[in-house]
Amino acid sequence: MSTEAVVSAIKESGATRTPLRIAGRSTWLDAGRPVRATKTISLRDDIGVVGYVPGDLTLTVRAGTSLSEIERVTREHNQWLPLDPYGSPDGTIGATIATASAGPLSIAFGLPRDFLLGLEFVNGRGNVVRGGGKVVKNVAGFDLSRLMAGSWGTLGVITEVSLRLYALPATDRTFSITLAGGKHEVAALIHAIATSPLSPYALQLLSRSAAHALGLGDNPVCLIRFGGNEAVVNAQLSALSQISRPEEKETSLWGRLRRLEANAHTTIRISGLPTKVLAAAATIIRDDIHLVYTYMDPRRGTLRIVLRADETDGVNTTGAIGSAGDFHTTGNGYSEVIFEKLPAEIWEGISPSVVSDSLSHGVKRAFDPHNILNPGILGD
Amino acid sequence: MTQPSPASRPAELSPAQSTVAERLAEIVGERHVLSRPSELLVYNSDGLPGYRRQPRLAVFPGTREETIAVVRLLADEGLPFVPRGAGTGLSGGALADDIVVIGIHRLKKIISLDVDNRRATVEPGVVNLRLNKHVAPYGLLYAPDPSSEAACTIGGNVAENAGGPHCLKYGVTLNHILALTVLLPNGEVVELGSKIGERDGYDLRGAFIGSEGCFGLALDITVKLTPKPQTVRTLLADFMSVDAAAHVTSAIIASGIVPAALEFMDGATIRVVEDSIYAAGYPRDAEAVLLIELDGLEAGVSADLEAVRRICVDGGARKVKVARDDAERMKLWQGRKKAFGAMGRMASHLIVQDAVIPRTRLPEILDTIRKIGEKYGVMVCNVFHAGDGNLHPNIPYSADDPEEAERVHKAMTEIMQACIDAGGSITGEHGVGLDKMGYMEAIFSESSLNAMCELRGVFDPERRSNPGKVVPLHACKEWNAVARSRLRMSTTPPAHADGDLPGAMARPLEAEPTHPSAE
Repeated sequence: MSTEAVVSAIKESGATRTPLRIAGRSTWLDAGRPVRATKTISLRDDIGVVGYVPGDLTLTVRAGTSLSEIERVTREHNQWLPLDPYGSPDGTIGATIATASAGPLSIAFGLPRDFLLGLEFVNGRGNVVRGGGKVVKNVAGFDLSRLMAGSWGTLGVITEVSLRLYALPATDRTFSITLAGGKHEVAALIHAIATSPLSPYALQLLSRSAAHALGLGDNPVCLIRFGGNEAVVNAQLSALSQISRPEEKETSLWGRLRRLEANAHTTIRISGLPTKVLAAAATIIRDDIHLVYTYMDPRRGTLRIVLRADETDGVNTTGAIGSAGDFHTTGNGYSEVIFEKLPAEIWEGISPSVVSDSLSHGVKRAFDPHNILNPGILGD
Repeated sequence: MTQPSPASRPAELSPAQSTVAERLAEIVGERHVLSRPSELLVYNSDGLPGYRRQPRLAVFPGTREETIAVVRLLADEGLPFVPRGAGTGLSGGALADDIVVIGIHRLKKIISLDVDNRRATVEPGVVNLRLNKHVAPYGLLYAPDPSSEAACTIGGNVAENAGGPHCLKYGVTLNHILALTVLLPNGEVVELGSKIGERDGYDLRGAFIGSEGCFGLALDITVKLTPKPQTVRTLLADFMSVDAAAHVTSAIIASGIVPAALEFMDGATIRVVEDSIYAAGYPRDAEAVLLIELDGLEAGVSADLEAVRRICVDGGARKVKVARDDAERMKLWQGRKKAFGAMGRMASHLIVQDAVIPRTRLPEILDTIRKIGEKYGVMVCNVFHAGDGNLHPNIPYSADDPEEAERVHKAMTEIMQACIDAGGSITGEHGVGLDKMGYMEAIFSESSLNAMCELRGVFDPERRSNPGKVVPLHACKEWNAVARSRLRMSTTPPAHADGDLPGAMARPLEAEPTHPSAE
């Protein structure tokens, strides 16, 4: 669907007050609160590179382009977009930005908003709006592009995105460390790794269930990824070897970790002060709930709790929400709880809205006065 | 076009204005309210003194409560205001045209520092360098480092989304702000972002940063701190042609190495610096130097240093000098950071530009800039953040010579147009303010500008906070009807209509500039 087609679809829906569901490739369509919509705008066919000058390390693509396609295109020039949201790599860049989804690499490269140079979107009035630009530094005008990141399609339909790229590192190696032993031993090891001067590309602590699902044995594990020139990777590996016994793994392991969420029915992200998350880490990853995958990013300060549709039932959802709540409250409220996916029927009771404040209402009214874009997905 | 001069206005406040001044004095104390034109002269320009606007009143709250009370009083009276940090901005953004200035420099408490979680909460008047000195003993730093870091405030940095040399690797202010407590122009206090973690909902924090004082003012700011790098290495490569240095810049970026900083100075700038008290030992006969800094873990930095040195030499560098110690590093940086100040020796006035271009276009655009300079017979000094493609072509000139001023203006307009045509932006870090408003329509469509107006309308429906900046008023469909007269305190008619708001494209340079002290 071209920008023009999106414009006419929105104008038509605006005239008839027909609410619209905004979709990319529909790989994550069940995320967010239930949407009250009768019609869908799909960006699935609006794909392709609009502009790519490898020497500038910038890329402009249509919003329906998948992350895996971006990976293919940039890899030809020894570059990449180090943005690896959990879930399927077949998701679109537009949806990734719209939902502000990021994965393990975010501790080294940042969140979607940090890659975003600018974008084009169509607002709820059917006007084509551009925010930001295509160069790596830009403060011209009020920042409309940042506002679109994480707005879940409720302020506009993203049609085109300009991004900052990075060169592929000369060396990119992944290691796993088994977190066996007593609670104190595990806690000490996690603390030593997480607070070391190492600067890994990614660092994740996996609960036993998650480790098991990835074929990494029956203990919790720590996954760590080093990238850069050979010297910096070797230096870090040798420092890591002083405090633990790392075992080398294929880099493809990260793709498998992300895909653990591909058909989850519940994903909860808890984000808090890194020290609080770290302090609770050993307990959380050892207290395994069967078939509930839990993994933590101690540097980012996040914990994810994931239940897969094919393996768990409603009872476990309640358990997962309960443990999220436990962490939240025992942390004395030192955390934010973000529900990404929940079974449709329980949203209302758990998190009816994240946009109920008056500024958010004002923003929504300014961009989508008829409330026709993804109504309800962030609440009202 | 005529410039409103203090003399054209009544020197005395009207009775209604006196009442406002008195009520403000009740809140902050008499000595923190200025109303005499002679006292207010200090606040009639910022770091880009090509523009002058005389405020009617200036008020300096000393606490959060006082700030809230001041803004609520102005809201009750329907009076517009301009928040102002240290006044080091380079876009005319902090100027108040016959309205109230709220100076934030007394709000300078460092409220909290959390070393383990690497974050600090500060009041908006805290000076950038002071925050850095405060956190340095803990092995931490606040990464955004505008060249005015010794004077500029974190609140001002947030308003402008300020950059600096090290933003190449570390990102601009936006990437380092976790949360803000914001005082909206109507006096309401809101929390944006989260001090403790990630949050869902609209990124109002992101929208506020870089809003140039038009969305209200921050009462406190929670910043992310960065661990000090294990190793820092700084090198200076000198070239006998601008073109060679430009190509080397593009080659370093394309190599994928991300230097902490990659700065460019051309021959004209080098000689100005070397003739000044900021002499840094740059080779006077060079036509360009690149100042390159690499940081990180020792092992990685050494390998990258070798790679960068090779790119420089292969690209025609005459000499590549690596600073041996911190003293040498500081000296190399001193010349760069004080280059704008050094230009004060050249002529009585200086115009500063801030365009951004795609980095592969650097050799071509620098050549275009040279040709434009020759065509108009003006001297362009280039000193800029090459790694980001963020140009700062500066032209020293005398504004007392209208013929020269006209040539300078035409040259700058043409340079800006060349950058826009190359797919660039009109400002990388200085902000739009008054100075670049005339270019906004060259890079944004009507509907994009209108969306910006609407976003502003959410934060400031009466558009009383820093009125007349960033987005040309006539681009705001909904607002055209609002009478301008109520945005001014005096009864003097407005000096300029909307259509000719300052902007280098729309009008000739203004007289009376002096020299920016900071970049």
